[in-house]
Amino acid sequence: MAVDLEDDESTLVAPVSPRRAVARARAHHLNVTAGPPKLKGLRLKLERDELILGRATDAELFLDAEQLSRQHVRLTRRDGEYTCTDLDSRNGLFLNGLRVHSVVLRDGDQLQLGDVTLVYSEGN
Amino acid sequence: MAIFVKFWGTRGSIPTPGPRTERYGGNTSCVELRAGDAILICDGGTGLRELGEALARRHPAGGMRLHLFFSHPHWDHIQGFPFFGAAYAPSNTLFVYGTAKQDQHIHSLLSGQMKSAYFPVDFEDLGARISPRECGPEPSEIDGVQVTAFAQKHPGGSLGYRFEQEGKVVVYATDIELDQLLEDPSLPERSPQALRVLPEALVNRVRGADLLICDSQYTDAEYPKKVGWGHPRASTAVDLAVQAGVRQLALYHHDPMHSDGEVEKKANLGQTRARQHGSDLTVFAAREGVELKIS
Repeated sequence: MAVDLEDDESTLVAPVSPRRAVARARAHHLNVTAGPPKLKGLRLKLERDELILGRATDAELFLDAEQLSRQHVRLTRRDGEYTCTDLDSRNGLFLNGLRVHSVVLRDGDQLQLGDVTLVYSEGN
Repeated sequence: MAIFVKFWGTRGSIPTPGPRTERYGGNTSCVELRAGDAILICDGGTGLRELGEALARRHPAGGMRLHLFFSHPHWDHIQGFPFFGAAYAPSNTLFVYGTAKQDQHIHSLLSGQMKSAYFPVDFEDLGARISPRECGPEPSEIDGVQVTAFAQKHPGGSLGYRFEQEGKVVVYATDIELDQLLEDPSLPERSPQALRVLPEALVNRVRGADLLICDSQYTDAEYPKKVGWGHPRASTAVDLAVQAGVRQLALYHHDPMHSDGEVEKKANLGQTRARQHGSDLTVFAAREGVELKIS
């Protein structure tokens, strides 16, 4: 499945999965709030049941940031909730400042992945 | 080898669903530890139900060996057991550890809460093999993990557990009224910021832990009205961790009246207190759905 970058809104849009029809009707985003200048303000829309975020160009959520591992975290959706799991990355996954292996995300969570800070948001 | 620690229920006393507790969670006490092939579960509060669902996804063929360590049989520590899917699968084996009083072993108390007056399914109808086991003050080897139990101050008594594997240490100490163990009980009122000295025997049980999961139910302001209820000031849990040289402290067993904001405030105050004691201890509030890797 292809992932398109909508330049005008700086939003990554993944195709809607069939499961989306029955999943909780919430929009889920990761918003880059700090990091390399070219990434700042980027808004990643999460619409798949499983996504890899990392520096690898074939990662579904590709972020060109030096301190990211090629496959840094996995995002998985279950019952409308996203879980973010560290994939043994070099610089780890930090939740609101605490190093964690995985976390079920909640609106407003701040994630630190190397030199990139993302804030998770639910709703429109 | 790492120990993975996942919080499935962090609330004390009674489940608290709703928007005020959405971030830290409303399920009562339940923590999963995985070390190699070993699956160890601390307490069976309502968080145990969702852990059961996750275990079924991870092990669809069943055949699991699960070790359940109960701190004590108060409702918020056993209420999830009748809803624990793993207990219904005939291919699973559950070992239960808890109070050592033979006439009141946790095994019989778990079955007692499933009598027909309380629950529609009888304990004898559970499919899994469920065996009582003992765990005491001397280390026991359990699927490659050294486990030690220690008695705690709580109405009716409770047990804490120390888990060790290849130099990694996790201590689970909930429902422990630390403030009734202080060497100087009036110190918190006289000098709230001063380090509260706890008994050496207890400090030794916790010493050097990479992670201490500790009852931290009350704020300093709340505790004087709750003396004898079996739970400590969060600030005293911080002092225990500092004295024991703990690396990370998870404030646990959140008061059901505390909103997410109040839990966060408690953690921030705890972190500040540790710094004031000159410690590099990390203090955070245990949160449902968070998994740590202790390595």
